Amino acid sequence: MSHATIVTPTPEGGFQPHTVAHHFKTAEQEFQAAKFAFWLFLVTEVMLFGGLFAAYIYYHGFYPKSFQAGGSLLDWRLGALNTMFLLTSSWTMANGVRCSQLSRRKEMVVWLWWTVVLAGGFMVVKYFEYSGKFHHGIFPFTQVWHPEGHYGEVLAGVAFPKLFFNIYFTMTGIHGLHVLVGMIAIGWLIWRGGQGRFHSGWYIPVDLIGLYWHVVDLIWIFLFPLLYLVP
Amino acid sequence: MANTSHDSHHHDVVVDHSHHGHVSTFQIFLRVYVTLCVLTIVTVAASQVDFGGANMLIAVLIASIKASLVVTFFMHLKWDTAMNNIAFLGSLLFLSLLFLFTLADFATRGMADPTQMSPIR
Repeated sequence: MSHATIVTPTPEGGFQPHTVAHHFKTAEQEFQAAKFAFWLFLVTEVMLFGGLFAAYIYYHGFYPKSFQAGGSLLDWRLGALNTMFLLTSSWTMANGVRCSQLSRRKEMVVWLWWTVVLAGGFMVVKYFEYSGKFHHGIFPFTQVWHPEGHYGEVLAGVAFPKLFFNIYFTMTGIHGLHVLVGMIAIGWLIWRGGQGRFHSGWYIPVDLIGLYWHVVDLIWIFLFPLLYLVP
Repeated sequence: MANTSHDSHHHDVVVDHSHHGHVSTFQIFLRVYVTLCVLTIVTVAASQVDFGGANMLIAVLIASIKASLVVTFFMHLKWDTAMNNIAFLGSLLFLSLLFLFTLADFATRGMADPTQMSPIR
């Protein structure tokens, strides 16, 4: 005979109970299935960026001067600032997930808000970095290429100067897209979390989006030194 | 992990109060966060010193330590199921194969002067 499993939070009220999908036996099984599937998705993310890092290794090996010249035109202080934004947001996210596990709704929403604000800070810095490059005549994937002033001097005589910037724009662009997607997803968590959807009995979306957010941070941990510090 | 299912008043409803995932402590997260910040300062400081060919190796090494802290503690992989651990470590295995063969290709071209090469477009 079929039955519905309903999971409710333990410590406090005001939460919405969760009904376990009928094809799962227990809430535990539902949780583990979702989590394993999400880890498989995260593995595809690792491989996606892995391919880009392989391109980095390959082209850096053949054209180190393009990378050295291009990298010197990035401001490592902005990169370091963005590293702090993402590291801190990763920490606030971890705390948000923890509060959802403990049915601390209000604290969870506050931690998630901090995560979105820090991610927004990251995107604002990225916007200024990109527009700075466009302003100096450096564009991705286009024939429009007229580095001006200091940029022109540094890149003059460098073989394939576009190479570094195409890799820079591709990797940070796809990464930035992930940050935007993460901001929308965490915004959704704030909305649903405020309604009391997530609690100790059911916090799968918070946990999974948290994992996603940590991977976004993880990729930046490698992008920062490789693009800004040591190319 | 304990699954304490029990029947409620309703005959066909099971109320499940189980806790599934590992709950970490605030202190552990804070310690990991501080360590990550310190390592960020270390990697910036190290980049100001010229270690020659070891520059990139040092940067990648520090980044790998930071990444493993994030995966182990923030992502709870230390307390996660064997299956999830195998999935993630499997990705690192294939990633290392990808990098290994890319490096092997690069290293065996035998070209010393980059400017003498035909361009890769």
